[in-house]
Order: sequence, then C-alpha cells, then structure tokens
Amino acid sequence: MPLDAYRINSEPYYEPQAAEIDIFTAAYSERLPVMLKGPTGCGKTRFVEHMAWRLGKPLVTVAAHEDMTAADLAGRYLLEPSGTVWHDGPLTQAVRQGGICYLDEIVEARQDTTVVIHPLTDARRILPLEKHNEIVPAHAEFQLTISYNPGYQSAVKDLKESTKQRFVAIDFGYPAPSTESAIIVRESGADSALAALLVRIAERSRNLQGHGLDEGASTRMLIHTGRMVRAGLPLSAAVQAGIVLPITDNPDIRAALTDAIAACVP
Amino acid sequence: MSAKPSAALHVPSEPEGVAQRLHAMMRQRDALRPLFLATWEALSGQFDAAQLETWAGGVLELVNVNAGPACLIAYWEASRNAASTRDIAPLIGAAQIGAEICRHAGAPAATASLNALAAARRSFGGTALARWWRAMEVLAREAPESVLPAAGRMGQILLPGTIEAFEDFIAAGLRSAAGDRNRRLAFFSLQDDLARRMIARDPGGVGFPDIQAELKAFTTALWGELPLLRSMAGDSMDKPQRRSTISGPIIRLPESYRGVQGDAARALFRAATAHAQAHLVLGRARFPIGTLKPLQVALVNLIEDARVETLAMRALPGLRRLWAPYHVAMPGGVATAPVLLARLARALFDPAHIDDDGFVAKGRALFAAALPRIEDSAISREIGTLLGNDLGQMRVQFNARTYVVEPIYRDDGLGLWDFGEDAQPPDDVLDLFIDAMRVESQERADGSDQQTEPDSAEAGIGRGRPVAPDDRGMVIARYPEWDRVHGIERPDWTVVREVAAKTGDPRAIEHALDGAGAVRNRVARLVRGLRIGRTVRLKRQYDGHDLDVDAMLDAGIALRSGQEPDPRVFRSSKSMHRDLSALLLIDISQSTCDRLPSGATVLDIERLAVAVLSEAMDQLGDPFGLLAFASDGREDIRMTSIKGFDEAYDRPCRARLAGLSSGLSTRLGTALRHAGAVMATTSASRKLLIVLTDGEPSDIDMSDPLDLVEDTRRAAVNLHGRGIDAYGVVLGAAGIASAARIFGRGNTMLVHRVEDLPTRLSELYFRLARR
Ligand SMILES: Nc1ncnc2c1ncn2[C@@H]1O[C@H](COP(=O)(O)OP(=O)(O)O)[C@@H](O)[C@H]1O
Ligand SMILES: [Mg+2]
Repeated sequence: MPLDAYRINSEPYYEPQAAEIDIFTAAYSERLPVMLKGPTGCGKTRFVEHMAWRLGKPLVTVAAHEDMTAADLAGRYLLEPSGTVWHDGPLTQAVRQGGICYLDEIVEARQDTTVVIHPLTDARRILPLEKHNEIVPAHAEFQLTISYNPGYQSAVKDLKESTKQRFVAIDFGYPAPSTESAIIVRESGADSALAALLVRIAERSRNLQGHGLDEGASTRMLIHTGRMVRAGLPLSAAVQAGIVLPITDNPDIRAALTDAIAACVP
Repeated sequence: MSAKPSAALHVPSEPEGVAQRLHAMMRQRDALRPLFLATWEALSGQFDAAQLETWAGGVLELVNVNAGPACLIAYWEASRNAASTRDIAPLIGAAQIGAEICRHAGAPAATASLNALAAARRSFGGTALARWWRAMEVLAREAPESVLPAAGRMGQILLPGTIEAFEDFIAAGLRSAAGDRNRRLAFFSLQDDLARRMIARDPGGVGFPDIQAELKAFTTALWGELPLLRSMAGDSMDKPQRRSTISGPIIRLPESYRGVQGDAARALFRAATAHAQAHLVLGRARFPIGTLKPLQVALVNLIEDARVETLAMRALPGLRRLWAPYHVAMPGGVATAPVLLARLARALFDPAHIDDDGFVAKGRALFAAALPRIEDSAISREIGTLLGNDLGQMRVQFNARTYVVEPIYRDDGLGLWDFGEDAQPPDDVLDLFIDAMRVESQERADGSDQQTEPDSAEAGIGRGRPVAPDDRGMVIARYPEWDRVHGIERPDWTVVREVAAKTGDPRAIEHALDGAGAVRNRVARLVRGLRIGRTVRLKRQYDGHDLDVDAMLDAGIALRSGQEPDPRVFRSSKSMHRDLSALLLIDISQSTCDRLPSGATVLDIERLAVAVLSEAMDQLGDPFGLLAFASDGREDIRMTSIKGFDEAYDRPCRARLAGLSSGLSTRLGTALRHAGAVMATTSASRKLLIVLTDGEPSDIDMSDPLDLVEDTRRAAVNLHGRGIDAYGVVLGAAGIASAARIFGRGNTMLVHRVEDLPTRLSELYFRLARR
C-alpha cells in the first residue's frame, strides 16, 4: 500500500471537546479542506492523528517554519549520479497517493507556500508542479488540513482572507476543566487532584492572555508539569520550570503569575 | 584610652620635619596636648614614620585654616577610631577635606563634619566613604550654611544606607532650593517634606508605581478581570497609614506602606489589591446606608470582608496564606471596640483561631449559621447590624473619627455603601470614612528640635538678604508662541523658569481659614456629598428598573394622537465615581496686589480661595497641584510650585502658599502650556485645569494685548485636545471678554466681587467634579 509508513495503527488517545469529530468526518467525506484554529498545545495535532486513524487514512504532517518554501512542500530536483531527478515533496506525495496532509502552523511559512495549496482547496483539486512541468490531480482520498493560531496573528503574519475562506474551520479552545483534567490524568499519570489543580493553575495564566502574556499555559505544558511532579519534583518547582519560566520573560508578569499560582494551592 | 604626658618619650623615633613641628606646637597647648599624644600613640602602633609624617601634615592643614581646638579634637578622635585600619590615606583625606570645609563653611561646620564621620563609617567604608567626603565638600562649597545642620543629622540622613542615596540627597537639596538659602536650610535640617521623604524612602521601599504593573497582572491572573488601580494622593507622615479604598470600579492604594519594605511591601500590596478586587468580583452589591450607626456600618464592613474572603478562598485557597500574616489580634487585653473588631475579623478569617470572648463567639456563630447563604451579601448587613447593636449595648468605646479598619490590607469599606441619591447621611457615619484619615497629628519624636531650627535660621541668616543673584531661577522648559500678525508659531519662543517658593507663615493661612467659617462649612458639606459614591438616576432610558412616568405620559399622548411614541420610557440608575486630578494655576502678577475695600489684597483672597479648595480636595483624596505664575517678558515666565501632585497638602505647603507675593505680568499662554505639561504626568481619567486670573494676558514686551489673547486661546484649545478641561476664573470685570475668548463662554466664570472668590471657586470645582 502506498504511504504505508504514514499509517497510524493504534488508536491515538483523543478526548473530544465538542462536535469536532463529526465535523471532521463530514468534511472528509466531502474532501473539504479543514482549518483547525486554536492556541498551541491544545490538541490539534493529536486530533488529526486520531481522525486519520479513525478514517483509516495515512497522515502526512508538515510543520511549517519561517524558511519553508513552496519547493519544500511540492518537491524539487535533486542532483544524483545519473543526473537531476525529481523528488516529490510531502504534499505532492499525499496528493498523488491519497491521504490526509496536515500543514501545521501554515502562517509560519513564506507567503508563496500558501499559494501552492490554493488549487488543491477548490473544485479543481489539482497541484501544479511548475518546475516539473506537471499538473497532479488529487487522489480521491486526498484531503488537506491546516492549523492556525489566531493568538499569533499580526499584520505581517496572518493568513490571507482568500486562503482562510477556502477552509472549513474547527475551533479548538482550551478543553473544559473536567475534560482537561481527564487528559492530564491520562497523559501524565498524575492523580485527579493534581490534574484539577494544574487546570486551575493554567486558568490563572490564561487570564493574563492579552494582558501581559501572548498565550496562557497549554494542555501540553500541564502534562509536562504533571510528569515532572510524578518524577518526584516538588509542585512549585515543577510549575516554575514547566509553566512560568517558559511562558514569559517579563519579571513583573513572572512575579505576578507565580503569586497568582500560589493562590491556587491549598 | 588614657593619655599619659610621658607618652611622647615612647615615640619610636624622635619625629622630624612636619611631625616635629606639630609636636613642638602641641607642647605649647596644655589643653590639647594629652589628647594629641594619646592619638599619636595610638597611630604609632599602626603606621610607620613616613605615614605619621603625612598625618601630621593633615593636622597642620587644619591648624592652618584656623579650624580651632574643637575641630582638632574631632579629627584626632576620628583618627583614633580609624587606627585599626591599615590605610592612612582616608585619614589624610579627611583632614584635607575638613580643612576645605572649614575654608568654605567655617570651623563649626568642619567640626560637625568630622564628628559625623562616625555615622558615615557605620554606613559604609572604602571608596564609598571617600564619596561621602566629596559630597560633604560639595555641600560646603554650594551651601555653606547647610553643612552644620546636615552634619548634625547625619545618622538620620544616612538611614537609606547607600552612598548613592546620600549623593542623591545632597543633589536634590541643592537643586530643589534653586539657590534659595532658606529653602536649603529647611531641606538640610530635614524640615522640608522632600528631604524627609528622601530619607524615609530607603532602597528597600516599594512604592505603588514600582509595583503597579505586577499588581495589575497578579489580580488579572486571579480573576480574569482587569483591575483599575490608582494610587492615593500624598499620605503625609503625621497621619495614620491610609487604607486602600474602593470607588466605583477603581481601587485606590496608598502610595506606599510606611515602614514596610521589600518583599513584605510587595506582599502587602498584593494582599490589599486581592482583597479589594474580591469585593469587586464577588460582592458587587452595595448596601443602603439607611439609619445605621457608625459602629454598625463598621461591623457590616467587617462581615462583608469575611464573606468575600471566604468565597475567594474557596476558589483560590492559597489566598489564605496571603492574608493570614496580617491577622495578629490576640485574645485578652482591653476590650475596646476596635480591638474586638480586629479579634472578630481574625476569628472569622481563621476558624481554628481560639478566642473565647462572648462577642467574638457570637459573631462566629452568626456567621457560621449564615454559611449556607454565603453567596448572598444580605447576610453581611443582617449580621453586622445585629452585632453592632450588641456592641453598642456593651458600652465599649468606639470613636468613628479615629477608627481605622484592621488588618491593614483591608479597604476602608466606603465602596460598599450606597448613600442614595443626594441624601446626606448623618455626619457621624461619614466620620467613619472621612475623619479616619485626619486623626490628630502625632507628635514627632524629634519635634522640638525641628521647631526651633528654621526660626533661628530665618532670623539669623535669611533676614534682609539682598535678592539672590540666581533669583531668576532654573530654566525648566521652553514653549512655542503664536505670532498673530504673521500667522506663524514661533518655536521655543518663551522660557519658563522654576522659581523656588518662598515660605511664609502658614499660620496666616490657618487664621484666614478660621475667619472664613461660613465658606468652610459649606465646602465641608460639599465634600461629604461628593466623597461618598452617589447614584444618579437616569431618565428616559431604553431600559431600566422602573418606568419613567413623565416619559410614559408623553408616550401615551403620542400614541393617542397617532404619532410615533418615544420608546425611552424607563428610569435606571448608575453609580458615579470620580477619577479626577486638578491643577490650580494662580496668577500672581502685579495687579493682584490691588487692595479691596476690606483692606485685603486680591492675592490675599486668591490665597484664601485656594486654601479652602485645597482643604476640600485633600479630604476628597483627589490628586491636585498648585502652581503660581507671573512673567517678565518672554525670556522669563516664572513658575512657582506650591504643591506637586504627589506631595501631601501639609504645613510646608501652606507656608509656601502664604509666601506668595505679587509682581510682574501675565503671559497666560505659556503658563497654560506649562500646566498642560505638568498635567500630562498624572494618570487620572479626567484632568481639570482651573486658572485663577484677574485680567487679560499681558506682558512687558507685548504692545497689542490681542496677540497674547490669541496665543492663549490657541494654548487652551490645545489643552482640550490633550484631554484637559481648562476653566478660567476671572476676577473683576476687566478680563471677562478675553477670558471668554480664551476658554470659551461655558468654561469661563466671572467673579464680580473678589470677596466671593472662595465660595465661587469651590462651587465651580464641585460642579465640575460631579460630572
Ligand atoms: N483533547 C485531547 N485529547 C487527548 N490529548 C490531548 C487533547 N488535547 C491536548 N492533548 C494533549 O496535549 C498535547 C499537546 O497537544 P497537541 O495536539 O500537540 O497540540 P497542538 O497541535 O494544538 O499544538 C498532546 O500531546 C496530548 O497529550
Ligand atoms: Mg473590605
């Protein structure tokens, strides 16, 4: 089978927040492109993995970065002993062979990359490879999913309206406290009291979003913190290392957050 | 160490050169010899002959400037005290600078400086000590008269403990006095407010501005609501520490908590802010004051505090650790009302705390019984009223005037009460909130010393002195001016100088106030009316809690006559709060020395009016500044600061007000621009500038008065653009036409009879402050 290496064989644990599984299922059945919106570390990647497993499709994930160009996605000629040889990029592989392509944090990539995906996200469902002089029609099972963090948007780094409007969007906030607790228990092995406390601690930092913090503590951070406590670190040290220090360099905010977190601890 | 005359015989080698000369000299001085020899002996144990030689040179330097015996003794003493150090250089330096001080400021000053060295050594050593000497030398050169008083208070002055603080202190004293010898004396003898604040503000001190950002983030993190934090205008040292207070959505915190430093101060600020915000987030309801007695009001506050803290700690249990350290009331002792209140506060806060007092136990039982209804603020009024009754019947002492809420982190409770629309609550209840801040000044420990010093200084040195050469003052700003004829703005055209205020007798102001009893009483009423949060009723609203009968009638008529009715048929109410700062700009030009029929001058009346209003603004806690101005051509617009926004309105401030004198002209446009720059530093959401003037702008170098009127108008328009409301209060009929042009008709108040100014000015302020 093509893209075998990209198949997910056992169920990735995923705790649904709302109707996202139904929405994604419907979007996939119509092969509509999907945009997952939300802060980092709130389960977007895990969700796509879960959906790929659920739908039984291979998942090609590309994490976008500042230097990423269209060629990194689509492919390029490489020099080999026999001469120049075309290599499909990850996106092209998924388009050709069928599967879900997940472009993580697409805004990070250079502007020209977003243009590459446009013909894939409308009725044409094609991928023009200009350099290779080829137009690749999308495989029937191909579907494109991107993630997008509205908290980071700025004048320079934002998706163009013409790009945004091509996607079905699913909003990922932070999970409800009980859901988030359950996730932490499951993923970090913390007991439920500790998990509930970590969620309350996270709430303090999330209150500061836009008032000194770009973003509050993510579920991922809470899981890490929980694991450090499990590994024997005292709670306050784990919180400092796992949440406060990574999240801000501003001394006032650091002090304020440390104290507000202390107010959560009985 | 006892001095033996024979000690000279034990000197290792017979001293030569300078030392020999010094020894020869001392042989003539019976009174000095024993001390000299004792010192020599002590030093001989530590230093070699060459070093002793240089030391002797130092002594001779002091001798050469006629430092006198007292100074020599002081030097020897300082030398003996330093004998254990291995370095002679600082001692030589001390003699050299001592001689230098003697040259500039006289022998007593040099002696005092050498004696102060002991205090300086206690605070620091090494290079810092050398810097201390250099700063003393600067002082001797720039302010010779101030060396003696400063040296005599060195222990106090060095309290902040760092050499930087001392250098700052010297520099600030020289700068703020701006060449005025009396002001320097006041500063360096610690009469001056700034001086006292500088030495009180030790490096560990934490002020509101230092911690504001952190507090804001802390409170936001706790509850997810952005708090509105402000500091309270100057809290003077002679009043008890002000508590925080809530007005509408605004939390006002003290500028600093006196005597609390470093992390302890940070913690206290956090505790106070968290408490106040707990009221705002968890207990927004306001209690109608009704006919409650002061003691009942205090108890309702106390129960409500316990209620919101209980709720807050349910969600955020760690807050207990934040608040607990301040609950220190212990059972036992004299059971006055404030003591019982503090004990009850602790008992409700900490269920494990043991206090067997019957009243405390009853309070606890009532509160525990009401726990199922803890979400309902009505329990606070119920329980508080009941307990207030009980305590009233126990005939324990309660003085609403002196009561301050305990523990210190709690707010004064004012924000919890609804005094109704225009209603005037009984004075005794208001005392609880207003007069609590005005407790009689506590005697200062060194009060006597401070009282006598400036008088003698003024009498001895200050009197009859010719105008200081640098009386023109320090240049603090330049502003553009509008050239009406050419239609251009001339950049940097006018020069503003800061002229140090002369101090007059504050009693003159106090007597004038005493004589103005009627006005003062009226203003006091106005203060009370405004101090409390008011509810205003809004008519003809789209939505509300009541129908507006007038609007209903109109709508009914409209309906019947087939017209479209106005849908705004409701009444609603909203509570008002002030976040206001004001600057009074006072014209002291020549015309203000005109005499009125009563014999008083216009300036006298201006002064009284300002004093009456200042008293009111101080009680309201509105930050305000007082600035006087006059001009002598475009190069010399003189600004005299009577009170800065962050200064307390205290006696020295009244002394400066009393010290104002009339003279020169009125370049109002520049004065307005400068006032705008001063106001830009305040953070209040409303800024009010009130200009007191007796005529139209004029200056010696301007022939057409219209030029300055137009310039001033432009300056006023610019103030509005910067969010500052400027009002002109014009004395006499002369200036009304131009004032209306400058400030706009609605922003101009004409006071025909100058004698009416005190009343009219205060009324204007209260009218504006109500908005
Ligand atoms: N709804 C969820 N169910 C299961 N795990 C979750 C969920 N949300 C977050 N997580 C945990 O949080 C971690 C970070 O989530 P991830 O999907 O990597 O975040 P994102 O892609 O949004 O940055 C995951 O590894 C997972 O452990
Ligand atoms: Mg309170």
